[in-house]
Amino acid sequence: MRIPVQINESSAEPLYHQIETQLRSLIVTGQIAEGTLLPSIREFSADLKCSVITIRRVYQDLENEGMLRTRQGTGTFVAKVDTDDREAYRKRIVVDAVRELLDTAKSVGYELSDLRELLDETLREEERK
Amino acid sequence: MENAVLEWKRVVKKRDRMVLGPVDLKLYENYVTALIGRNGSGKSTLMKLAAQLIMPDEGEVTWYGQSYPQGLPTDVRASIAYVPENFAAEEDSLKMDDVAQFRASWYPKWDWQRFEELLNRFEVPGGKKMNKLSKGQRRKFEIAAALATRPKLLLLDEPSSGLDPFAWKTMMNEIRRCVDEDGASVLLSTHIVEEVRRMADYLVLMEKGRSLGLLEKDALLDRGREIWIGRDDELLAEMPGVVESAIEAEGMIRFVTLDYAGASALLDEAGVKPIRVRALELDEAMEHWMNGSLLD
Repeated sequence: MRIPVQINESSAEPLYHQIETQLRSLIVTGQIAEGTLLPSIREFSADLKCSVITIRRVYQDLENEGMLRTRQGTGTFVAKVDTDDREAYRKRIVVDAVRELLDTAKSVGYELSDLRELLDETLREEERK
Repeated sequence: MENAVLEWKRVVKKRDRMVLGPVDLKLYENYVTALIGRNGSGKSTLMKLAAQLIMPDEGEVTWYGQSYPQGLPTDVRASIAYVPENFAAEEDSLKMDDVAQFRASWYPKWDWQRFEELLNRFEVPGGKKMNKLSKGQRRKFEIAAALATRPKLLLLDEPSSGLDPFAWKTMMNEIRRCVDEDGASVLLSTHIVEEVRRMADYLVLMEKGRSLGLLEKDALLDRGREIWIGRDDELLAEMPGVVESAIEAEGMIRFVTLDYAGASALLDEAGVKPIRVRALELDEAMEHWMNGSLLD
């Protein structure tokens, strides 16, 4: 199987981090179902043109988080993600996005009060829809 | 997991136009290592030593931790496949089938099915004499024969030269299969960035007969960044790993660092958010490495 992970070549984020974040998101959101057999480390690394060392690290990290499990001789599978994890993860994605927004606003010299006003306005617009 | 397949220990070898070494280098099992460097930097010599086609003048080469100054034992030799850059003329007048028969008799794990399958996929016509094959066909024959031996150690000296894009892709897939399914280790010398991108786990850089070390490919990629920030000469002066910098506009500077972790920590500390950060392409990162500006 080919996993829809996309490396952004010019991103400042380290490779393993980009891959890990995207794979975690695919698992937590259920887009890759529990029990799915993932590609072998070599296959996945060839697909993404990165080294096996990077993929091994990603699989290892996600296994430690309980999202993957490896069966000797069979391969790496997606484990069951519990509901609490899923909720925590959803929150984390939004919190990260808000953080990013804050950084962007700061970098163009927006005051916090201006930002708050803008957010309120945007939310009101959304509610009117 | 991290067993050394091959090791060059203080190896020196005098050649006609260059001296290799002293080289200290270790290759780990079940990885693909790309050997890069300019022409005449010693890549082929390093590889011939690994195939024991030549012996070191000083130092030693070890296979799986063993050195064999009296010659490689048959079983070790049969576990190594080597595709040279230039092919021996002795086989020129022989027929392909006879050459294959001969090789098969030397390699106990020779896989006829695999060999035929590869020749088919490479579209090499059968029954010809070796010297009637084109340069590309000859190379395809050699690659097929190397893979048919089901090697534990595969040495490829610029294997892609003369290959068409389809054969090139097949070759890469087959090498990968050999690493994945047979647990083989691969050393491959190449000038082709795309080959390094697609295949390599580790890189070894040769320069004027010396090895500049072994690096994990992704670590090299993760180190190099091009960064634009508001002009701050003092901050730039403190920035680690800078190999290039320029004033790009009134109040804006751009620099290239090979220590992104260090640079990024310093930027955070100074509270500076870059205007833009771009990762270096593999060839750019390799060039900086070749120029000797990579910090360890």
